[in-house]
Amino acid sequence: MTQAFDRRAFIKAIAGASSASILTIPSAHAAKTKARVVVVGGGYGGATAAKYLRVMDPGIEVTLIERETLYTSCPLSNEVISGERDIKTLQVGYKGLLKRGVNVVHDEVVNIDPAKKIVATAGGKSFDYDALILSPGVDFNFGTVEGYNEQLAQTKLHHAWKAGPQTLLLKKQLEAMPDGGTFIIAVPKGPFRCPPGPYERAAQVAMYCKHHGKAKSKVLILDSNDSFSKKPLFEQAWKELYGYGQGGMIEWVAAANDGTLKRVDAEKMMCFTDFGEYKGDVINIIPPHHAGKVAKNLGLATFKNLWCEVKPENMESKSQKDIYVIGDACVGGELATNNGFPKSAHMAMSQAKVVVASLVAKFNGLPPPEPIYTNTCYSVVAHDWGFSVVHLYRVDNGQWVYIKNGSGISPVTLGTKEAPKPVPRMYRKLEAEYADGWLRNVMSDAFL
Amino acid sequence: MRKGILALALCWWASSAMAVGNIDVLARTCNNCHGLNGVSAGTTMPSIGGLPRGYLSKIMKEWKYDKRVAATMNRIVKGLSDDEIDALATYFARKPWVPVPQKTSAATYAKGKATITENCEDCHGATGNDPDEGAPRINGQWAEYMALELEKYREEEFLMPHRKMKKTVRKLKESEVYPVSEYYGAQNQ
Ligand SMILES: Cc1cc2nc3c(=O)[nH]c(=O)nc-3n(C[C@H](O)[C@H](O)[C@H](O)COP(=O)(O)OP(=O)(O)OC[C@H]3O[C@@H](n4cnc5c(N)ncnc54)[C@H](O)[C@@H]3O)c2cc1C
Ligand code: HEC
Ligand code: HEC
Repeated sequence: MTQAFDRRAFIKAIAGASSASILTIPSAHAAKTKARVVVVGGGYGGATAAKYLRVMDPGIEVTLIERETLYTSCPLSNEVISGERDIKTLQVGYKGLLKRGVNVVHDEVVNIDPAKKIVATAGGKSFDYDALILSPGVDFNFGTVEGYNEQLAQTKLHHAWKAGPQTLLLKKQLEAMPDGGTFIIAVPKGPFRCPPGPYERAAQVAMYCKHHGKAKSKVLILDSNDSFSKKPLFEQAWKELYGYGQGGMIEWVAAANDGTLKRVDAEKMMCFTDFGEYKGDVINIIPPHHAGKVAKNLGLATFKNLWCEVKPENMESKSQKDIYVIGDACVGGELATNNGFPKSAHMAMSQAKVVVASLVAKFNGLPPPEPIYTNTCYSVVAHDWGFSVVHLYRVDNGQWVYIKNGSGISPVTLGTKEAPKPVPRMYRKLEAEYADGWLRNVMSDAFL
Repeated sequence: MRKGILALALCWWASSAMAVGNIDVLARTCNNCHGLNGVSAGTTMPSIGGLPRGYLSKIMKEWKYDKRVAATMNRIVKGLSDDEIDALATYFARKPWVPVPQKTSAATYAKGKATITENCEDCHGATGNDPDEGAPRINGQWAEYMALELEKYREEEFLMPHRKMKKTVRKLKESEVYPVSEYYGAQNQ
């Protein structure tokens, strides 16, 4: 008797408690958590992954761990150096992701235990995961140029290859440069973040000089490579807008012509290649880089000990299960034919969307969707002159396939090969305008 | 017998679910430039969510087969199959059309209104919301995007296949291009 009564009371109590607690749980959390995903790095790749996981399946619990509270977009940061753009237009915080239900943690990830599936932060927190997405971007190797180091990058020879304080410092140096001065840009051996970036920067610096009473100045590109992204388009624009080559404002020295920077004397502001020496008024050294430390230290950078190899179908690390590496930190694409993935924000977002589609299918017991990877990268060489490159990759038989007819650069000439016609300036103007529309859309698609 | 049909049905369901899943993956790559659900956040890039399926598919195929000029899109669609293009058109046509709120001055608005009443209303309607003759909606489309599009129509050698649109827009004065764009852009409903 008492027993039966007790049991009924007990059941009633449970029922009461659980319905009460269901009422108090916010609706977003009401759905049962299907899986926990931790994303490390809130740049273009990581932010996109975190957002789209929540958009596509609110049943997935997403934690984004990012060191900084404010993100500064590298894309179009070359326009900040030339004074064409306010750096504020490139900055975005993490409120948008919070609104999407992402658990945003501002901390630094210092350790990952792939066996126990735990991520640990400098702040002493730890997080369990079912899947881990790493999008840590790049870290620099300051040791390849003699006389150069991290301290100098901060105080005098800025790289500005992560947008932020160094971008503004480089801008100040350009402003202080006398007419007739030389602005040196040293380019590391590829692959590096943003293949057309150094050449876009050269144009932006030349534009600044042209319009600010420094038309006698020079922009000298010391290159560790023999060619570069969108070369015919850059050379055409440089020539027409700023003068290129001997006597022009912009000069490019290929690796084959002894362009590789070997040593720098910060005191005397001298750059040395094997046989040449160049005096610079501003020296902008872009150091070689590699996958962000958090991925590299875990042993994921199996490609030349620099970049992380991943599986074409879903970006999962080739060396660790349930860890996905996206963005600048990974390598992919048809590497053998030199059609590797460009390290761009657009590509990082495309990769993020592939991982998300794959994880959402997996956690819902659905077949894996077919991946597709796309890139578009605009370069702006004057306020009314832009152009772009488009890339498309599919996956066939577990291999990346570069789709040639879905890829390519803006036209250099029109007409036929035999009778080429110049491209109307309107094309260039359109793409300069579209670059701004692209930026606002990618920032919004990743962070809001 | 029955089992066979069920298996077939399941198969069909699975393969169509796959197909849908795949087009979602492809369509999400468009969001980089056209926004989530095809609602653009960049003033120079068009919103495409909610435009008619036939229009979307026609435009993309014209680019693919070099029958229409574009600065970027023509290269993007070249690597897609006609079926993918149709599926993308269906995907974006099913999204709601979201006009973006945009500001303009009273004087520009009045100038735009006068110009469109005379030249554009027959096909695009007084607010751009009720188009005819195969024209897409342009109420609350980004004004800057539309002005650039009109510039394409105005370049004589640019291949924009709609003859009447081209003729009408080439008649405009340069000073009327922004007002008409801003007028239609400001129709926030
Ligand atoms: C000058 C310049 C111009 C460019 N222009 C373009 C362009 O026009 N178009 C384009 O598509 N791309 C462009 N890029 C490239 C683009 O910036 C990168 O490809 C893109 O940022 C890569 O995204 P990501 O997520 O891999 O890395 P990032 O965007 O670098 O994000 C990585 C994030 O991870 C965080 N992080 C790293 N380690 C940790 C850790 N241990 N714990 C917590 N947080 C961590 C960092 O703080 C950072 O916020 C340009 C780059 C440069 C330098
Ligand atoms: C890199 C940016 C970019 C990406 C990615 C992109 N677009 Fe576009 N889109 C543009 C630009 C720029 C225009 C204007 C036309 C041009 O290229 O000159 C445009 C125009 C369009 C239009 C015409 C809209 C109208 O109102 O007439 C359609 C339709 C379209 N895009 C569909 C797509 C689809 C579908 C995808 C994905 C497969 C896509 N776009 C991906 C940049 C992009
Ligand atoms: C005879 C009918 C007609 C007239 C008149 C006309 N249009 Fe159009 N317009 C169209 C059609 C049809 C299209 C789509 C063209 C295509 O499919 O190639 C279009 C396209 C456009 C677009 C591009 C929309 C997009 O999303 O890309 C804009 C902007 C536009 N018209 C503005 C105008 C303005 C402004 C006027 C008046 C000055 C005007 N049109 C007059 C029929 C017309």
